[in-house]
Amino acid sequence: MFNSLNQDSYDRLYSDSYLFKRIGSYFSQQKRTLWTIAALLVFFSLLGSIFPVLIASSIDYLNTDDNRPLLLLLGGLFIASIIDYLLNWWRGRMITRLIGEGIAQMRSDAFASAVNRDLGFYDDNKSGKIVSRITSDTQEFGNILVIFTDIFVQLVQLILLGAVLISRSIELSVVVLLWLPIFIGMSLVFRHLSRIVGRQGSRAMAAVNDNIQESVSGISIAKNFRREGLIYEEFVAVNSLSYNINLKRGYVLALIFPVLNILSGFGTASIIYFGGMAAIAGSINVGSWYLFIQSVDRFWFPIINLASFWGQLQQGLSAAERIFALIDSTNMVNQIADVPTNELRGKIEFKDLVFEYKPNNPVLDHFSLSIRPGESIAFVGHTGAGKSTIAKLIARFYEFQSGELLIDDKDIRTLNVQSFRSKLGIVSQSPFLFSGTIADNIRYSKLDATDEEVEAVARSIGDGEWLETLPDGLQTDVGERGARLSMGQRQLVSLLRVLLQRPPIFILDEATASIDPFTETQIQEALDKILAQSTSILIAHRLSTVRSADRIIVLSQGKIIEQGSHQSLMSAGGHYAELYNTYFRHQSLSYIENSRQMLAEGS
Amino acid sequence: MIIGAFSNAALAVAVPYYAGVALNAVINGNQTEVIVNATISLIFSQFVRGCLQLMRNLCAETFSQRIERDVRDELYASLLGKSMAFHDMQPVGEIMARVTNDVREMNLMMNPGMNLIIGSGFFLIVPLFTAPTIYPSLVIFPAIFLVLYFFAQYRFIRTLNPIAQQVRSTFGDMNAHLAETLDGLQVVKGAAREELEIQRFNELVGKVRGFFIKQGYIEARYISFLLLSMLTLLGLIHAIYLYKLGLIDEGKIVTFLGVLFLYQFPVYSSLRSLSQVALGYAGAGRILSIIKAQTDLDQNSTGRTSKIAGRITFEHVSFGYNENNQSLHDISFTVEPGQTVAIVGQTGSGKSTITKLINRSYDVDSGRVLVDGIDVREWNLASLRSQISIIEQDIFLFSRSVADNIRFGKQAATRDEVVEVAKKAQAHEFIESFSEGYETVVGQRGVTLSGGQRQRIAIARAFLTDPPILILDDSTSAIDSATEDRIQQAIWAASKGRTTILITARLSQIRWADHIVVLRKGRVVAQGKHEELLASSDSYRRIFARYEEAQPQSDTVQG
Repeated sequence: MFNSLNQDSYDRLYSDSYLFKRIGSYFSQQKRTLWTIAALLVFFSLLGSIFPVLIASSIDYLNTDDNRPLLLLLGGLFIASIIDYLLNWWRGRMITRLIGEGIAQMRSDAFASAVNRDLGFYDDNKSGKIVSRITSDTQEFGNILVIFTDIFVQLVQLILLGAVLISRSIELSVVVLLWLPIFIGMSLVFRHLSRIVGRQGSRAMAAVNDNIQESVSGISIAKNFRREGLIYEEFVAVNSLSYNINLKRGYVLALIFPVLNILSGFGTASIIYFGGMAAIAGSINVGSWYLFIQSVDRFWFPIINLASFWGQLQQGLSAAERIFALIDSTNMVNQIADVPTNELRGKIEFKDLVFEYKPNNPVLDHFSLSIRPGESIAFVGHTGAGKSTIAKLIARFYEFQSGELLIDDKDIRTLNVQSFRSKLGIVSQSPFLFSGTIADNIRYSKLDATDEEVEAVARSIGDGEWLETLPDGLQTDVGERGARLSMGQRQLVSLLRVLLQRPPIFILDEATASIDPFTETQIQEALDKILAQSTSILIAHRLSTVRSADRIIVLSQGKIIEQGSHQSLMSAGGHYAELYNTYFRHQSLSYIENSRQMLAEGS
Repeated sequence: MIIGAFSNAALAVAVPYYAGVALNAVINGNQTEVIVNATISLIFSQFVRGCLQLMRNLCAETFSQRIERDVRDELYASLLGKSMAFHDMQPVGEIMARVTNDVREMNLMMNPGMNLIIGSGFFLIVPLFTAPTIYPSLVIFPAIFLVLYFFAQYRFIRTLNPIAQQVRSTFGDMNAHLAETLDGLQVVKGAAREELEIQRFNELVGKVRGFFIKQGYIEARYISFLLLSMLTLLGLIHAIYLYKLGLIDEGKIVTFLGVLFLYQFPVYSSLRSLSQVALGYAGAGRILSIIKAQTDLDQNSTGRTSKIAGRITFEHVSFGYNENNQSLHDISFTVEPGQTVAIVGQTGSGKSTITKLINRSYDVDSGRVLVDGIDVREWNLASLRSQISIIEQDIFLFSRSVADNIRFGKQAATRDEVVEVAKKAQAHEFIESFSEGYETVVGQRGVTLSGGQRQRIAIARAFLTDPPILILDDSTSAIDSATEDRIQQAIWAASKGRTTILITARLSQIRWADHIVVLRKGRVVAQGKHEELLASSDSYRRIFARYEEAQPQSDTVQG
C-alpha cells in the first residue's frame, strides 16, 4: 500500500533555481502583462503604506486650529481609496489572466508530452497517476503565482513602511527590528515543517486517483463476483492514507496564523510600552507612536506570511516538479534522423534483430525476415511467440535492442515517426473507439474524408446491414471507449477505419476473432481488397483467414520455424499442418462425440 | 470551533482598546503604570487568543479533512452500488474528477472557506457592540456598512455560483478526455493523430481557462473592498467631528479606528472564502448528483437466497439500452439445469445483452427472466450474482498479482486451489513461466499479458467460484488455436454439472451445445439442435456455409 506513494520512475529532482527559471519561462511570453502587473503592484503597495501614514498624520493635525490640512488629508484618503480599489480591480484581472494562461499552457505541454511518450512508458506508469499530474498538479502550480504576487506586494510595503518608520523614530524602529530575528526564525521553522509534510500530499492524491480509475474501469468484474466490499476496503485504505497525510499538512498550516497573532500581539504590546514611554519622555509625538502601533502588523505580516506561503509554495513547486518530470521524461524510442515519408512502397526487412521487453528475456532473438512490397504475410504460432511484437516494432511503438529494421531499405530509426505512422493502417488486438459517433470513429484515420466516402465504406460490408441494428446508424454515439457497441461492432468499426485509409502497410492483429462467421465472410471480401494493394501483416488465429496470405510464417519463441504458402506447408506436414489440423479437428463432429465420451468415462 | 471564533473576535478588540487606553494615558498626563498595565493585558489577551485560535484551526482542519475523506468514501461506495447502466453512460475520467477534485473542493469549502466565514462573522458583529461604548452615534457607519456589505456579498455569490459550476464541469470534461486519450493511446499513435488529440485537449483546456478567468474577473470586481475603505474614511470623519465637538478624546478616536480595522479581516478573507464556498458548493452538487442518481436496480436484500439449480427461462423479453431503441424483441427460450446453450447471431444482434439480463446488470423492459422458475427481480441480488459467473469479452484484470486476480471471486481460496483452477484453465504453464510466477503483478488493463493469457486467467477466476450458472461471452475467441484446443476441453469439463450459456461464433462450441438459439436483429429466428437447424433454418445455414466449405479440406488432410 505504501509503495503507491513512492516516486514514479520518471520523477526527478530539479534545483529550486532551475524550477524558478523554468516557471518564469511560462510567463515570459506575456512580458507586457507581467510588467504591467509589477508596476501595478508597486503602486498598490505604495497606496497600501500611505493609508496608515495619512491616518496617523490626521491625528497629528487634530489639535491645530487650521482645519485645512486635516481636510486635505481626508480628501487624499478618499482619492487614495478610490484609486486603490480601481488598481486592485485591474491587478486582479491581469493576474487571473496570467494564471489562467499559465495553467492552460502547462496543461497543454504536459498533455502533449504524455501523448508523445512510447507505449512502453504506459506499461510502466499508470495512466491514472499521469492524469493526476496533468489536472491536479497544474492547478496546484497556479497557486504559486498568487503567492508570488502577494509576497511581492508585501515586501514592497515592508520596505516603504520601514523607511517611513525609521524617519519617524529611530528608537522605536529598533524595537520593531529587534523582533525581526524571531519572526525570521519562526519562518524557518515553518519552512522546515512544511517541507516534511508537503511532498507526500500530491503523491497521496495520485494514488487515490489511480485507485479510482482502475476500480471504476473494472467495476463490472467487481459486480459479477460480488466483490464490491473488497475493492471498497482497498479504496478506504488509500483514502485514509491520503487523509492522514493531508491532516498533517493541514496541522502545520493551522499553526501559522495563531502563532502570527500571538507574536504580533507581543510586538504591538512592546511598541505600546516603549512608544508610550518615549512619548511620555517626549522623544516622539503621539501621531508617530500611533503610526507605529498601526503599522507593526503590516511590517511583520510579510515575514510571517512568507512562512505560511512557504508551505503552499513548496507544494506548488513540487507540483511543478512533477509536471516538468512528466514533460521531460524520455522516450525509449529515439529517432536518429527525421526523414519524412512521402511515398511508401511497403518493403519491410528485419535484419538480425533482438528485442526484449525486460532485460535478458528476448522476445525476438536474432530475427531476420524480408517482406516484399505488396506481399501479405500471416504470422501464426502460440500465444507469446512474438507475433504481436513484430507488429508493434513495425509500427515503431517500441525500440529494439540490436539489429536493423528497414522500411523501403531505409533504417526505421531515421524516419519521421508521425509521417511514417500515417502511412500505416493498424487494427489492434483490443479495438478502441473514442466517444463520438461511428462516423467520427471511422473517419479517425482520414479526417478529410467526406460523409459519402465514410458511408460508402460502411456499406461496403454486407450492404451495411450491421448499421441497421444501431439506433442512429452511422450517427450512433458509441460511448466512452466504444462501450455502447458490442465487441464485434467495435472490431468492425476499427477495421473500417483502415478500409477508408487505404494505407501502403496494413497491420491486422487478431482483430476478426470475435466477429461472427457471417460478418466475417463479408469482412473477408473487404480484406481481400486491402491485401491486394497493401503490404499486409496479418496476426490472426483463424487459419481460414490466414490461408489467403501470400506467405505464412510460423513463429515459436521469437524464431521462425517454418514458412511458405498454405499448400506447401500443408504438404510438408510440419508445425503448420499440425496447427491447422488441431484447429479444424476440434470443429468436427466426431471429435466432439469423442470428447463427450472421454468426459463421461472420466467421471 | 464557534467558541474559538467568538473569543478570537472578542479578544482581537483588545488590541485597539488597550492601544487607545495607552494613548489616552500619554495624552492625559504621563501615567506610566497605565501603560504598563495595558501592555501586560495586551500580551495576556493575545496569548489566550492565539491558543484558542490554534485549537479552532486544528479542529477545523480535522473536521474538513474528515469531510473530504468521508464524502469520498461515501461517493465511492455509491459508485460501487450503481448499476452497469449508469457506468456505461459515465466516462471514467469524469467520475474521477468528481471523486478527487470535487471532493477536495468540498474540503476547501469547509476549511478555510466556512471556517473563515464563521470566524470572520464575529468580527462583523463585534464592532456593532463596541462602537457604541466609545460613543453611541459612532455605531451609524458600521451599521450602514454591514447592510451594504451583506447586500454586496449576496450579489457577489449570486454572480459567482454559476461560473463556479461551469469551472467544475468543464474541468470534468477535460479530465474525461484526458483519461480516455491516454487509455486509447495505441490507437492515437497508430493513426498518427497525436496532433489532433492535443488540439482537442487544448480546446477543453481553453474552456476551463475561460471560466477560470471569468471567475477571476468577478473576484477582482469585489466591491466590498471599496465599501471598507469608504467606511474607514467616513468613520474617521465622524470621529474627528465628534472630537471637534469635544464629545470624545483622542484615545477614543484611536480605539474606534482600531475597531473599524476589525472589518478588514472578514472583508479580505471572504473574497477567498466565498469563492472557495462557491466552488465547493458546485462540487457538492456534482457529487450529490451521482449519489442521488437512480441506480435502476434495487438490491432486493429480502429476496430469495437459496442455491440455484440452474434452470433459466426467458419469457417474451424485450429490452433496450435507451427508450427509443429496442435491442431485444420478444425473446423466449428455456435452458434446463446442466444444459449448455449456444447463442449465435451476427454482431449487434443482442447476444451479449441477453447475458446481462440474467445477472441483472440490466432489468428487462417487458416480459420476464426466470431463474429456477423465479423472476430474477425476486432474487436477492447478491445471492443471484454470486451464483452466476460471467466471463466477459473485454477482460479486465486488476493491477495486482495473478494469484489475487484468480482469487478475486473467492478471497479465502488457498494457493493449491488457485493452482488447481489455473491448471484447469490451461493457465498454469504460462503463469509458471513468469519469473515471479503467481505473484507476478498484472500491469494496468493487463498490458503485460497477451489477450489469450488474460482470458485464461479470467476463466480460472470463474472456475474458482464453481457457480451453478456459467456464462461465456465469446471468451475463447482471441486464444490461438492450439491453446484453444486445450481451453475447449477445460470449458467442457467446467460446463459439466452446471448450466452454461455460450455466446460464440465457434462451430465446435455450437455443435457441443444441447440447444442453440439463433438471434437476428434482436429477435429469435430459430432454435434447436445443430442438425435440426441446419435442416430447417436458412439463417443458420447461411452462418455455417463457410465452415462447411472449409470442412472437407481439413478432413482430407486428416485422412
